[in-house]
Amino acid sequence: MSDYGLDKLKASRFLYWGIFLSLGFLILIGLASSAYMEHEGHYVTGMNNQIVWGLPHVFAVTLIVIASGVLNIASMSSAFNQKLYKPLAPLSALFAIAFLIAGLIVLVLDLGRPERLIVAMTTYNFKSIFAWNIFLYSGFFVILAIYLWTMLDFNVNKYSSTMGKLAFGWRIILTTGTGSIFGFLVAREAYATAVLAPLFIVMSLLYGTAVFYLLLRVISKLQNIPISDEITLSLRRLLIIFLVANIYFLVLYHITNIYISKHVAVELFILFNGGGYTTMFWIGQVGFGLFIPLVYEMTNNKNMRNLPLTLSSLMIVIGGFFAVAVIIIGGQAFQLNIFPDHIILESSFYDNQIHSYVPSIFEFGLGIGGTALGLIIILIMITNLKFIPYKK
Amino acid sequence: MSNRRNFLIKSASALAVTFVLPSIMSNKSYAKKPLAAKVTDKQSWGMHVDTSKCIDGCTACVDACNEENGLSGFGRPETDSQWIRKVKIKEKTTDKITTMPLMCQHCENPPCCDVCPTGASFKRIDGIVMVNQHTCIGCRYCMMACPFKARSFVHETLTKQNTNAPRGKGCVESCNLCVNRIDHGSKTTACEDACNKLGHSAITFGDLKDQSSKVVTAIKNHNPRRLRNDLNLQQKVFYSNI
Amino acid sequence: MRHLRISSLIFIFIVGLQNGFTHDGNPHITPGQSKADSQDACVEPTNIMRKEHYLFLLHQRDDTVIDGIRTKNHSLANCIDCHVSYDEKGAAIPINAEGQFCQDCHEKTATNITCFSCHAAEPRYPNHATKLDGNDLKIIEDIAQHIKENVK
Repeated sequence: MSDYGLDKLKASRFLYWGIFLSLGFLILIGLASSAYMEHEGHYVTGMNNQIVWGLPHVFAVTLIVIASGVLNIASMSSAFNQKLYKPLAPLSALFAIAFLIAGLIVLVLDLGRPERLIVAMTTYNFKSIFAWNIFLYSGFFVILAIYLWTMLDFNVNKYSSTMGKLAFGWRIILTTGTGSIFGFLVAREAYATAVLAPLFIVMSLLYGTAVFYLLLRVISKLQNIPISDEITLSLRRLLIIFLVANIYFLVLYHITNIYISKHVAVELFILFNGGGYTTMFWIGQVGFGLFIPLVYEMTNNKNMRNLPLTLSSLMIVIGGFFAVAVIIIGGQAFQLNIFPDHIILESSFYDNQIHSYVPSIFEFGLGIGGTALGLIIILIMITNLKFIPYKK
Repeated sequence: MSNRRNFLIKSASALAVTFVLPSIMSNKSYAKKPLAAKVTDKQSWGMHVDTSKCIDGCTACVDACNEENGLSGFGRPETDSQWIRKVKIKEKTTDKITTMPLMCQHCENPPCCDVCPTGASFKRIDGIVMVNQHTCIGCRYCMMACPFKARSFVHETLTKQNTNAPRGKGCVESCNLCVNRIDHGSKTTACEDACNKLGHSAITFGDLKDQSSKVVTAIKNHNPRRLRNDLNLQQKVFYSNI
Repeated sequence: MRHLRISSLIFIFIVGLQNGFTHDGNPHITPGQSKADSQDACVEPTNIMRKEHYLFLLHQRDDTVIDGIRTKNHSLANCIDCHVSYDEKGAAIPINAEGQFCQDCHEKTATNITCFSCHAAEPRYPNHATKLDGNDLKIIEDIAQHIKENVK
C-alpha cells in the first residue's frame, strides 16, 4: 500500500474551467427542461398514457446501473482482495456516488409531483420494489460514504474490507431491485421474469467497468500520466468475461420467452418487426454493445495500446443505453394482451396498435443534464480532494 | 333605537342563514346514509357488464363518466385521461364481434397497489381500488403494472374541476366506481345510469355481498367471466357474452 | 459585535410583530360577499381555525379518502361552500383568486397552498348532484345585500 500515493487532479486551468463550464451549461439545460416539464405538465414530453416511462427513465436506469457496476473495481480490491485495484478503489467509490446522484436526480425531476419527494422518502409501501429501491439507494449513499472514509482515513483503514464486502452485497441487492422493478410486473410479457434481476447485475458489471475505464482514460489524458499495462490488460479481461456473461443472460432471456407461447408475440416484435426497436436491439444492444466489442477485444490480445479498449468501452456504453431503451420503451410499446382469444379492432385508448413514442427535446435535456451533474461532481471532487493514485 | 333594529336584523339574518344554509348544502338527490361512518367490508362493490346489450358506436357510459368526473379532454387523445373506454373486439376463431366498456377492474389482488411506492394506490376496505391523490408522487409505476391499462396520468394543469372529483396535474387516476356518489348513498354509478337511460342496461353495479342485489343476480344468470383470468387477480368486474 | 446584537434584536422584534398585527381586529378579509360573513364562528372556534385549520384538513383528508367519512363538518367542499365569495351576478369567485379568502392570508404569510391544483375552487357539481339553483342564489344575493347595507 505504501508504493503508491493519492493526489489531486493536476489539470491545466484552461482545461478544468472548459470542462466545468461545458458541464455546467448542460446542467442548466437539464434544469430548464425539468422546470418546463413540471410547470407545463407532461403533455409537452413524448411520454403519454401508453408509454409512461420514456427517455428520462432510460437515462436514469442506465446511470443507476452504471453506478452499481462502477463500484466493482473497489469491490474487487476490498471484497475479493485483488491488490491491483486497491489504489483505484476510492476513485471507484466516488464514481458510484456521482452516477447514483445523476440517475436519481433525473428520476426525481421527472416525477409528476417532484415536490412530494419527502412523501416518497417517509411513506413506504413495502410491498413495492420501488419503495425498497428508494430505501436501497439512500442506504447505498451512506454505505459508500463510510466506505470512502475507511479507504481514505488511515485510522479506520482496517474496516475497509468489511465495508467493501457490505457495499458489494448491498450493490447486488440494489441491482436486483432495479431489475425487479420490471421483473415483478405481471402485466407485460416483456417483463414478468426473474431473469431480469441477474441480467441487470451483469449489465451493471459490464457498463460499470467500461465507464470506469473511459473515465480513467480521461483522467490519464488530463494528467498526462499513462495507465499501467497491468490494469489495462486486467480491465480488458474483465470486459471480455462480462460481455460473455451478458450474451449468456440475454440469450437465456429471449430463448425462454420464445418457448413460452404467450410471450412469442412480444419477442417477434422486439426481434423482427418492431421497427425502431428491432434496429436498436440488433445494431445497438447486440451489435455495438456486445458482439463487436467482444470480437474486437478477443482478436486484440497482443496489442496493449489503449485505443482498442477505449473504442470497445465506448461501444459498450452506447450499446448499454440502447439495451435499457429496448427493455423500458420497447417493453411498453407492444400493446397489452387484454383479450388473448380476440383481436382488438377499435379502441380510443390505443389498445389495438403498437404505441408510438417520439421523445421530446426536454426529456433529452433532462437526461443529459443529469449525466453532466454526475460528471461535474466527479470533476470537482478529484480536483479538490486526493483521489488520483500515483506511483511513488 | 337603531341599535335594537340593528340587532334584530342581524339575528334575523343569522337565523335565516342557519336554516337556509343546510338545505342549500345538503344532498337533495340521494337517500340518507351515515356520512360519519367509516366504510366497512360489509359491502364489496362490483360490476357486471352484459356485452350482448352493449351497442356498437354508443359511448353513453364514457360521456357520463367524463361529465361526472370533469374529464374534459384537451384534444390530445394520447395524453387525455380516460377512466372508461369502449373497445371493439373480434374473436379469433368465430369472428364474432363484441363491443364493451373497459375500465379499472377493481382487482382483489391489484398489481397497481402492490407496486405503488408510497401506498397512494390502495384498495379501500369495501373493495374499490383508487388513488389517494394526496400521497401520489406521479411516478406512473402503477400504470406500468396494470394489465388492463386502466390508469391515466394527468399531463397538464387542470382548472374548473368538479367538486366531487378532485383531480390535478401530476397524479394518476382511474375509475373509482363513482366512490363519491356511492358514499353519499347512490345505488348506481354514472355509467350505469347513462346506459339504463338509453334502455340498453348493459352495466349493473352493486354490492357483491348482497345476494339479492341486481349485480349478483346478473352474475348468477349470465355465465360471467373475468378478463385475463389466468392472472388470478380476482377482479370485481365481470363480463358476459364476450 | 454590538452592532450584530442590536440588528438581530431588531430583526426578531419585527418578525415577532408579524404574527400579532396580521389578523388584529379584522374578522374577515373579504367582508360581505360570502355566506360565512353572516356567521360569528366557523365549524371550530375562530382562533383555533386561524392558526391550525391545516391540522383539520390534513386529518380529514385521510378520513375521507381512506375511510370514506364524508361529514360536512371538516370537509373541504363545505369550507368552500361557505367561504367562497359571490359577485353581483351571483357567480362564485374562485376562492384561490387574489384577494379571496384563502389567498389573502396565505399571500401575506408567504405559505403556498396547492389544494386548488386538484380541488374545485368554487362549488361545482355535475348536473345530477347538488346544484346552486336560482332560488339559492337569490337567497345568497339577499344575504349579501343585507350584510353590506346593515351589518358593520
